[in-house]
Amino acid sequence: MSDMTETTLQPGSTAAPTTCETGTTIGMDDAVVQARRVTKLYGQGDACVHALAGVDIDLQRGAYTAIMGPSGSGKSTLMHILAGLDRPSAGNVWVDGVEITGLKERALTQLRRDKIGFIFQTFNLLPTLTAGENIVLPLTIAGRKGDEAWVDELVATVRLGDRLKHKPAELSGGQQQRVAVARSLASRPAVLFADEPTGNLDSHTGEEVLQLLRHSADKLGQTIVMVTHDAHAATYADRIVFLRDGVIAHDCGRLGRDQIYDVIKSLEDVG
Amino acid sequence: MIRIAWRSLTAHKLRTFLTTLAILLGVAMICGTYVLSDQIDRGFKNIFTDAYKGIDVSVTRKAKFTGEMTGATAGLPESMVSQVKGVNGVAGAYGYVTGAGAVAVNGKVVETGGSPTLFFSYAPGDISNTTYAQGGPPKAPGEVSIVQKLAKDHNLHVGSVIDVITPGGSDKARVSGVFTFGAESSLGGSLLIDTTLADAQRWFDMPGSVSAIDAKAVAGVSSDTLAQRVKAALPAYADVKTGAQAATDQTKQISDAIGGFLRPVLLSFGGIAVLVGAFIIFNAFSMTVAQRRREFAMLRALGASRRQVLVTITGEALAMGILASVLGIFVGLAIAAGILRLFAAANIDIPHSGLVLAPRTVVVALAVGIVVTLLSAVIPATRATRVPPMAALQEGAVLPPSRFARFAPYFAGAVAVLGALGIIAGMYGPGNTTSRLGTIALGAVLVFVAIAMVSKYLIRPLAGLLGWPLQKVAPVSGRLARDNSVRNPGRTAATASALMIGLGVVVFVAVFAQGLKSSFIDSFDKVVRADFIVQGKNFIALPSDTANLVQGVTGVQTAAGVDAQQAQIAKKTTAVYGVDPVLFRNVWKFDWLKGGSDALLGQLGTGNAIMEQQTASSLHTGVGKTVDLVTVDGKQAKLKVIGLYRDPIMLNGVILDNTGYTSVFGKPQLFMVFVKGDLGTGAAQNETALKAALASVPTADVQTAQQYKDSIVKQVNQLLNLLYGLLAMSVIISLFGIVNTLVLSVFERTREIGLTRAIGMSRRQVRATVRFESVITSIIGAIMGIIVGVVFAWVVTTKFAGQGITFSIPGGQLIAFLIVGVIVGVIAAILPARRAARIDILEAIHYE
Ligand SMILES: Nc1ncnc2c1ncn2[C@@H]1O[C@H](COP(=O)(O)OP(=O)(O)O)[C@@H](O)[C@H]1O
Ligand SMILES: [Mg+2]
Repeated sequence: MSDMTETTLQPGSTAAPTTCETGTTIGMDDAVVQARRVTKLYGQGDACVHALAGVDIDLQRGAYTAIMGPSGSGKSTLMHILAGLDRPSAGNVWVDGVEITGLKERALTQLRRDKIGFIFQTFNLLPTLTAGENIVLPLTIAGRKGDEAWVDELVATVRLGDRLKHKPAELSGGQQQRVAVARSLASRPAVLFADEPTGNLDSHTGEEVLQLLRHSADKLGQTIVMVTHDAHAATYADRIVFLRDGVIAHDCGRLGRDQIYDVIKSLEDVG
Repeated sequence: MIRIAWRSLTAHKLRTFLTTLAILLGVAMICGTYVLSDQIDRGFKNIFTDAYKGIDVSVTRKAKFTGEMTGATAGLPESMVSQVKGVNGVAGAYGYVTGAGAVAVNGKVVETGGSPTLFFSYAPGDISNTTYAQGGPPKAPGEVSIVQKLAKDHNLHVGSVIDVITPGGSDKARVSGVFTFGAESSLGGSLLIDTTLADAQRWFDMPGSVSAIDAKAVAGVSSDTLAQRVKAALPAYADVKTGAQAATDQTKQISDAIGGFLRPVLLSFGGIAVLVGAFIIFNAFSMTVAQRRREFAMLRALGASRRQVLVTITGEALAMGILASVLGIFVGLAIAAGILRLFAAANIDIPHSGLVLAPRTVVVALAVGIVVTLLSAVIPATRATRVPPMAALQEGAVLPPSRFARFAPYFAGAVAVLGALGIIAGMYGPGNTTSRLGTIALGAVLVFVAIAMVSKYLIRPLAGLLGWPLQKVAPVSGRLARDNSVRNPGRTAATASALMIGLGVVVFVAVFAQGLKSSFIDSFDKVVRADFIVQGKNFIALPSDTANLVQGVTGVQTAAGVDAQQAQIAKKTTAVYGVDPVLFRNVWKFDWLKGGSDALLGQLGTGNAIMEQQTASSLHTGVGKTVDLVTVDGKQAKLKVIGLYRDPIMLNGVILDNTGYTSVFGKPQLFMVFVKGDLGTGAAQNETALKAALASVPTADVQTAQQYKDSIVKQVNQLLNLLYGLLAMSVIISLFGIVNTLVLSVFERTREIGLTRAIGMSRRQVRATVRFESVITSIIGAIMGIIVGVVFAWVVTTKFAGQGITFSIPGGQLIAFLIVGVIVGVIAAILPARRAARIDILEAIHYE
């Protein structure tokens, strides 16, 4: 992080104007992901959409952040840009000390391989590989043997020991998503991005996945960014960032479900 | 519904293009074959029509049979010319001598690329078609006039002196003129030499004879009438034809030679290409149907009948078939033109007319292209009709398995048995060669189809086997490639089978050729004791004193000549050889049967013969029996078989004493001289001395035994390369099939590729995955092809074992074919791999 502090885009005050009563101040010195004045435009001329209209955000190491906001507010776009899957129209992003906005394809691949984990809403697993093979897939891709003890621990954590030899098609949706969590943690990424990880699950299995993520943050110190529009899911997070029309509307600490509903309501009222 | 079909074709441009290309190339090969052979036919027809222009009646001696090594017939007595002249209505008649020989300029034989150098005794200008560009026809003995091409190529003009080499020996001749023949400067690569009648008679050993008599009718008498009158006036052995008939007959003879070899060979390679194309069409349509099942379900849900769904797909197939066939015809025309250009570049001057697109060519090309495309689409189309409307609502519904699916293995078995029966029937059954070959081909096609059907079950183990090392090298790409190739075994099997067919035939040809080569070398080594072999260049018989010339060379122990010609025994054309009873045993080691020995050679005399055992058994004769032999001139002889030997390759036929030979055929016809040298003085020295001694015989080609063997092997290899070239087309078509499958495979796996890219897979790894899948498929195809080809070759060589052809596996070549398989896979993967690597991760993970 030391070279970070020398850049002209040195993080200043807290990420966004916080109108959240429960807003928290977070130590600035250990941000795993930093974004500065990130904008994203889609289309041209009249049809131009500002998916992101200048976002500054810092994600602290070990923090579990939820990104919320109405549909079309830019949640997915922000996550993709922070994860190096998409390039911003303007602005800069650093991941674990590396400025990723200017990186070439090859370096981005390396970044995803070494520093980033993903969980998508659906389709996280390769159907031809067994659950166990899917879990170690990032390691295999990177050509690393990985830490077997760590993998065993993950398997134990996601409680899939007896399912490792099964193909994804033979697993339930919740089990598949647990495999996805284990997979995303296998390479010990600097940050784990999850886009609506429970969106396709019923509340019970969704709960399991959420607890698993919480557990990873608590016990493994995993940095997590989770896009969700489920208020209950967001209650597991240490910090909730609310987007509206491509800007951060609120940036709060832990919130209960009712408080979240209030913020959402206030966002809608303004909108 | 047709509009939907059209949309679908245009929406999947790449697939439509590749599929069309697959059938197009096959059609083009078939069309090109017809166009080319028609062009050559017509080219010869033009030449012969020219040659007989102005000739009303042509008389020759009836040949008893036709063959390749028959030599010239004895001809007609010169006195017959005046007999013809005396026929009422003949305005003029002349006899001429013709024969094949060679010319040498500055002591070097003029090579004609296999075409003959033809000599004609000069015919009066009003009746022949020669036009003089320089000088005039030969008048005095020792004068010749030459065709313009020869003059141009070798800078000859009136007054130049050339060597004339004929069966009668070598002679000097002075050029009296340079002519063109009809519109041509040469006759299909052949060289034409006009001579005086007396010279021709001397050079071709035909004193008092002519080869043919041409006559012209007076005004008012038709050719037909004149031919009838001439016929009535001449003895029965004279073959009297009108000029037009003679031209047609000669054209037909050459056409049959082409039609009997070139056309069926080229057509069968076109057929193989079409078969490979059929697999690809089948596969392409199967994939389309699988991919569009929701669309079909929706159509059905909206009230479309099964029939309408069927019509949609059949319509697509029809459009594709028509497009491919029509384009194929044009490409075929280009192929024909290209081949002729190749021949021209290689200095092979094949007479040909301009492009000939016969209606038959168009009909066959269209029929093959359209019918094969439709047939290949039938099964996928019927499958499409079984998509239930419900499938529109279900996520990831798969096609219902066919009602007959569980019978598939039995069906494949039945097809295989049928195919095998076809092959056996073709090999051992009755009927003429063409129909038997047809049966074998049909059987082979069925066997290929059956293998393609069962190969589905081989994909999993084979892919596992092949994927294993790949996985060792590249853990992710190898593994995924292996998995992907077994995900739809039927599809992989059909794709690999397309390659199997092309490579299978390649391997068959290679193994068969290897058998030919090794059996030739084996039997040569077994029987030939000579150190040198002297042959006539361009298949011209050697002068009969060649052996004596060689015998005189210091260091030569024995020079034994072999005369050879074809004759008929019991209506079967058989090779007849004449050997020196004393000398020959020094250069030949006979493999005698049942108590035979070299002593039998001394007992041959003029009425006895020894026979190769295969020949004997096919003639149903044996030791002690007598056979009746008929020469091409109709001379007859009775020969008593006094011994049998085994030699299916080198001297397969009947062997006579050379005096016996001369008494049967009237004159010797020296074919080869086997020379045993005194190696003590050094082989190289021997060779130089031999060549020096034969300086007066420019057509003599001296080779060491090793060179001779090498030259035969080289000939087989040349033929082999030609066949490989033709088969390359099938392999290329199957390559398109692999591309087709991979493109779809990549398309279907867009999400998976996006996911793996998101979690750190590099573009290189993605490309490798596609490439490995491709290589797995192509190696499976290659392995199946190699196995099938080897088995086919084994079956066929077993059949030919009697002819001395052994089964021998060219290991190095088989490995090379496997490598070809790998290369095909790598090339086929280029485009699909690039597509896969370019997949946008974000789009892919949102892709539904
Ligand atoms: N590929 C795209 N092309 C055009 N517009 C897009 C694209 N992706 C997203 N958008 C637009 O950007 C805005 C933000 O989208 P997104 O980040 O997906 O929102 P969210 O995930 O919060 O629902 C929306 O208005 C959306 O329509
Ligand atoms: Mg979204």
